[in-house]
Amino acid sequence: MNRKTLFQQIYDARWCYIFVFPCLVITSLFVLYPIGMSWYFSLLDWTGFTKDAKFIGFQNYIEAVNDEFFWNAFFRSFIFMFGTVPVKIILGFIIAVFLNNQVLKLAPFFRTIIFMPVVTAIAIIGIVMTFVFSPFNGPANKFLMGMNITSGPIDFLGDPNTVLPTVMGVYVWKWLGITMMYWLAALQTVPQDVYDAAKIDGAQGFKLWFHIILPIVLPFAIVIVLVEAVGALNVFPLIETMTAGGPFFSSEVMEVYIFRTAFVTDSGTMPRLGYACAAGVFWGVAVLFITVLQGIWIRKTRRL
Amino acid sequence: MKKKNQLKVSRRTVMKGALAAGAMMSAASIPSKLFAGEFNIPDPLKPLPTDGGNLRWIDTGDMKGVFWNKLFPEYAASRGITIEYDGLPWKEINKLIPLAVRNGTVQDVFQIPLNMDPGVAVSEGWVQPWDDYIPNLQEWLAGFPGGVYLPGVNQFGGKTYGICLTANKRTGTCLLYSKKYMTEAGYDPEAGRMTYSEIRDAAKKITKNGNGQYYGWIIGGNQVNRWEDVVHTFGQVAGAHSGRGGYTNRHISFKTGKFQIASDQYMEAVELLLQLKSDGSAFPGVMSMNAPQARALMPQGAAGMIFQGPWCIGVWAKDAPNWEYGIASEPVPDGKEAQPLYIAEGGSNTFWLSKDSKMGPFAGDLMHFMGTEQGQIYWAQTVGAADPAVNPTAVAKAGLTGQSAKALSMFNENLLVGPNPIVRNKDVGLVAAKTRIPDPSLALVIQGLYTGQIKDVEKALKDCNQRYEDELDRAVEEARAEGANVTRDDWVFPNWDLYSNYGADKYSEL
Repeated sequence: MNRKTLFQQIYDARWCYIFVFPCLVITSLFVLYPIGMSWYFSLLDWTGFTKDAKFIGFQNYIEAVNDEFFWNAFFRSFIFMFGTVPVKIILGFIIAVFLNNQVLKLAPFFRTIIFMPVVTAIAIIGIVMTFVFSPFNGPANKFLMGMNITSGPIDFLGDPNTVLPTVMGVYVWKWLGITMMYWLAALQTVPQDVYDAAKIDGAQGFKLWFHIILPIVLPFAIVIVLVEAVGALNVFPLIETMTAGGPFFSSEVMEVYIFRTAFVTDSGTMPRLGYACAAGVFWGVAVLFITVLQGIWIRKTRRL
Repeated sequence: MKKKNQLKVSRRTVMKGALAAGAMMSAASIPSKLFAGEFNIPDPLKPLPTDGGNLRWIDTGDMKGVFWNKLFPEYAASRGITIEYDGLPWKEINKLIPLAVRNGTVQDVFQIPLNMDPGVAVSEGWVQPWDDYIPNLQEWLAGFPGGVYLPGVNQFGGKTYGICLTANKRTGTCLLYSKKYMTEAGYDPEAGRMTYSEIRDAAKKITKNGNGQYYGWIIGGNQVNRWEDVVHTFGQVAGAHSGRGGYTNRHISFKTGKFQIASDQYMEAVELLLQLKSDGSAFPGVMSMNAPQARALMPQGAAGMIFQGPWCIGVWAKDAPNWEYGIASEPVPDGKEAQPLYIAEGGSNTFWLSKDSKMGPFAGDLMHFMGTEQGQIYWAQTVGAADPAVNPTAVAKAGLTGQSAKALSMFNENLLVGPNPIVRNKDVGLVAAKTRIPDPSLALVIQGLYTGQIKDVEKALKDCNQRYEDELDRAVEEARAEGANVTRDDWVFPNWDLYSNYGADKYSEL
């Protein structure tokens, strides 16, 4: 049998290629080209202002890995991720279990309430939360003082010890609805027969959920963890609007660090687009690495 | 059957009514002066295009915005064009302008980013000269005080690229205070410049009197430049003589050419801020508010003192006309005499004309009007001390009264023109273009000291000073490697008399 040449194969599948072409063009313009250019820019000493970009090889990368603020922001991003993802996953699961109960008549109402922050613009939430947590007449402090929990106002966003937990709390609240929806989707794949059979066999409560339902939804859990982890590493708009990384870098995660070095800041420094691109590429590779690890974990789990 | 007459009020009607009522209430709260058609705009000196157009203008707003919003509609109507104005804070200008230039959407008239060397804007082709658009340019320029238009600052290659309508004779850290709270605390800043101890004591007493309802002192602490501005200016008043402005002037003693960041005067100023905090006199939550938010809390009675600029005067006049406040010079350490503050020659709020602008004739015509004595009087009458008009005669004729007049008189008393390395050697501009403010900057270091994340004041300021020195050395070397004829000696002015203006005669002596 004659093997078809590559050209013949392409010709035979021409309609596939024609339909894929617009997507390829858009992906190239808005994904591949910016990624490629950021790699190139990362090798330049360039403010982004001027034409006199100078090729400096890997100097930006060397400078970044020797910068303590880079590493502080790097690890703070992971603190943010490890501090929010488990809370969201567990809380989202518990809420989904309750709201998945057909007996609960108000389930759609509660689902809507919990999901509402998800559809609210994140920048709006960030700005509103600066008022909510304001030490001067902010409702959070008024509540705490009104209930005699604290004697004076707490500067939630101005105190280096409270700023990151506060932003993490807002992040969890904002996105909890979507985690709940993932879990609800997963739970609804469990056939009613399984519940019925389990009940007949005497499995109830913790045993039912831990030994029967959880193993069924585990593959979904892995995907949810993957999505949530990557999401928790992309928190720029919330942090920029709530704290801009302050005070004194206390809430500066990698994206805010990249933004700060790419553009002029309050302190008036000249931007360093080349350096910011190097930090961005480094960060992108790190996130990719984590994603690959999680992908391997998913495969292993599916084989179980 | 006869239908009953019923009063039907739809939601839409209610909304319309509410909007109308809101608009009337808003209008009632704005001084009537803002509605007056009060500008006598002269006919253009040169024929203008008759096909109209849209003039786009962007600057840092504040009181400038108040003035432009009054003038632009009248000017546009008189010339048959439209004007689109945007007033944004520096933080936004710094980000927006480079992107807009890159993608070809920059406004016709704009301000360049705060730390960008003007020479770079010219050499990169962002801007075009005003020479072809401002009628009788040389005669017009001669109407400005000496030192406003300078080669290397706003003039390049014999052409004028930057237009300054305002003077830079002001400080941003005056003592602004509630008269009621200060009187209750037993102090009168108008009687004489307050000392650090008095500020601290007054803040304590105000806080005590406030009993948790108000505090002694407030600052917009998440706007980091406020920390640096206070320490810088207080340090200068205390005797750390240094320049103001960009990286290549700021904090540098022109006697030695070295940074003053680790000086005793700077440390004392930082200590004052830390003491205000440790005394419990600082408003709780200063770290989560910016300067405008802190300023807005003053008339609400939240604090007794704030260190800010004269731009508060116009804002408070509009937002809290009945609030009684005072303005005074920056405090001085105990037992010391206040020293002069130094500004660089030149104006402020420099306006640049986009290279691709087709509205140059109109922008030039408008600039010409604003540079005349009448235009400057109009400016001074609205903007007052916030951004003082550059023409002193016009300021005198504007008949300013109250806090604006007081602030201007204070600035005249406290400020002198100091040396400016870029006037001495334009290649200093190439160094400015190479500099990167070290990380963490002085502003952030002070913020870190205030939050307690950095403990040792002396070590922190010494380290910071060294970072600034190293960075200037590096920038000078890099500029030299690219052909600039510049050395650190360009920052040393041996003939600088601390108590007189540094003018053209002094430069010629060097």
